[in-house]
Amino acid sequence: MHNVWLIAKREYLERVRSKAFLISTLMIPLLMGGGIIFSTISTRKSKPTSHITVVSPDQQLALDLKKELETGKDSRMTVDVISPGNSATRATLDSMLLDSQLDGYLVITPASDSNKVPSFSYVPRSAADISTSDSIKTALRNVLLRERLTHQGMVAGDVDSLMQPIKIDTTQAGKKTDTTSNYVAAFVLFFLMYMVILLYGMNVARSIIEEKTSRVFEVLLATIRPEEMMAGKVIGVGAVGLTQVIVWLTTALILTGSSMVTAFAGNSAHVSLSAMQIIFFIIYFLLGYLLYSSVAAALGAMVNSEQELQQLNMFLVMPLAGCMFAIGPVITNPTGLFARILSLIPFCTPLVMYLRISLAPPPMWELILSVVLMIATIYAILWVASRIYRVGILMYGKRPNLPEIMRWLKYS
Amino acid sequence: MAIVELQQVRKAYDTKIAVDSLSFRIEPGSMFGLLGPNGSGKTSSIRMMIGITVPDSGSVELFDQPFDRKNLHRVGYLPEERGLYKKMKVIDQLAFLGQLHGLDAATATKRAHHWCEKLEITEAIPKKTEELSKGMQQKIQFIAALLHEPELIIMDEPFSGLDPVNATLLQDTLVDLRNQGRTILFSTHRMDQVEKLCDAICLIHRGHLVLSGAMQEIKSRYPKNRVQMVFEGDASFLNNNSVESFKNYNGMAEIKLRDGADAQHLLAEAISKARITRFEVMEPTLEEIFIETVGDRVDA
Repeated sequence: MHNVWLIAKREYLERVRSKAFLISTLMIPLLMGGGIIFSTISTRKSKPTSHITVVSPDQQLALDLKKELETGKDSRMTVDVISPGNSATRATLDSMLLDSQLDGYLVITPASDSNKVPSFSYVPRSAADISTSDSIKTALRNVLLRERLTHQGMVAGDVDSLMQPIKIDTTQAGKKTDTTSNYVAAFVLFFLMYMVILLYGMNVARSIIEEKTSRVFEVLLATIRPEEMMAGKVIGVGAVGLTQVIVWLTTALILTGSSMVTAFAGNSAHVSLSAMQIIFFIIYFLLGYLLYSSVAAALGAMVNSEQELQQLNMFLVMPLAGCMFAIGPVITNPTGLFARILSLIPFCTPLVMYLRISLAPPPMWELILSVVLMIATIYAILWVASRIYRVGILMYGKRPNLPEIMRWLKYS
Repeated sequence: MAIVELQQVRKAYDTKIAVDSLSFRIEPGSMFGLLGPNGSGKTSSIRMMIGITVPDSGSVELFDQPFDRKNLHRVGYLPEERGLYKKMKVIDQLAFLGQLHGLDAATATKRAHHWCEKLEITEAIPKKTEELSKGMQQKIQFIAALLHEPELIIMDEPFSGLDPVNATLLQDTLVDLRNQGRTILFSTHRMDQVEKLCDAICLIHRGHLVLSGAMQEIKSRYPKNRVQMVFEGDASFLNNNSVESFKNYNGMAEIKLRDGADAQHLLAEAISKARITRFEVMEPTLEEIFIETVGDRVDA
């Protein structure tokens, strides 16, 4: 046990002291925080602020539209009204478009029959400016609807209350949670787990290849067992991953707890993590890491160089990538049969079960079963991996084929 | 009692037999040379002695007991190729390897400093391994094998890649350790190193034992029929009938005498024809013994 501890300690200290660790530990939260801030700022800015001209014989309609576009919910445009306009108006406006004095103009032609809708034609300066034309469309619909309702004899106040968007309060039974924030947190942690498991699994494989090429293992094998070497390595590298995750989670908690995010993003982007989410994140992260890193240790022992490892990478990446494709069905129906079966397959459990916990907590027996299944699988894989490791690490030259690996399992 | 004893050891890799029916023993407190050309099975034999690999058949005993990993902390091992963490600082590396052999961190660090001074590489202590020259790395590896003061020191090609000054420094260190009572086994393909240093040897060729035993005993099996001489003048005495073959390098001759011939006759004729500045009757070198023995086998 002492040897395992020594190997793990060395692995941990050497990695934590490296520049790469410092940079990735700092950069990921910065990028994520920066991403959130950037996206909230850019969505706020994206309320169109275009400058347009409305040409309409119906002055009241034009003024209502101007009001909706300038002070309405979704836009902050500047609107000029030309009413009723003459034959030269369009030519003048076209030349203004060319000079970039205008972003577009809207021409309203009243309907011949008062029961019909007038026709509209919008001329943008740039056809790519979709948000402006969308805002105009929405504003027109609102204005026309309001006008029509008023026409039918409704009081203005009633019209406004009728046109309020409908709110549905979604609270899960017995709990007061904000589902949007849960959803965001689940997603962020899902990707974090995916990334960290893959990254640190690969690190175990790389570290074994490094010892193989530098021949350090030969010195180590003269004192300790291959099993101890492998265990120390997996634990040491895993501890580095855990350290990084804890740093990130702490940062996330501080950020969401402080007013910083709220100030930037408003309440809608408030990310909250429940205690259960954090505890299960750590449990599934550890189990997932153990599972994938033992596979990686076996892969690392089988090959001679990182190039060769690249070819075997798919064994690590494929199950994880499969989980990514399953996100859609799991999110739309987290308690469905597909999600329940998938979340019990050990290679998918850490990601899929974790997602389910964040969306709609599964029954306790499913959680326990998933953990038991994972531990059993880890045990089996460690057994195979340590045998491949003890033989493979002494092999140089060509990569072993499947029958050879089967033969290795029978040694010792 | 024997510190190391191999009996009828055989090890085969997929298609190649690395070592076959190899037996030898190493007495306590001796310097033992494991000799053989490249690819003869030296490293394979050593790996079985320290449990990196297991023999297919036959037995390996260390310290008079069947092989047991528990005894490995009494062994110091230097592998053929440098096995050090490239990015790790020398002192951390030595402390780590010392601790793996059961030392506590403080003792390991203290001894590492002591050894670095002794081997004249104190300037390497704060550096990373990858910044060091090959010779310096070899010295670090050498120290790593000795930190825990092992009773048995096993070194695979310890002097390869060293300049003569450093090779001598390490050879002297090994002699010191032997004089302290440690048992040392080292492998080499350089026969001249073994002649100076070793008390006993084992010579292997293509995985088979060719010769083994105490150095003096092996040499006494072969007649003293080599003469080395330096002379000025007429070289015709080299055709004397006691000479079997000779090589004349411009006044420096190496001569092999016929079986049973007396060197005195040759010397007498040489004096009459040339001016002799050196005349020495020599034991055969190990290299000659090796070539002779292996040559015989090939012929047979």
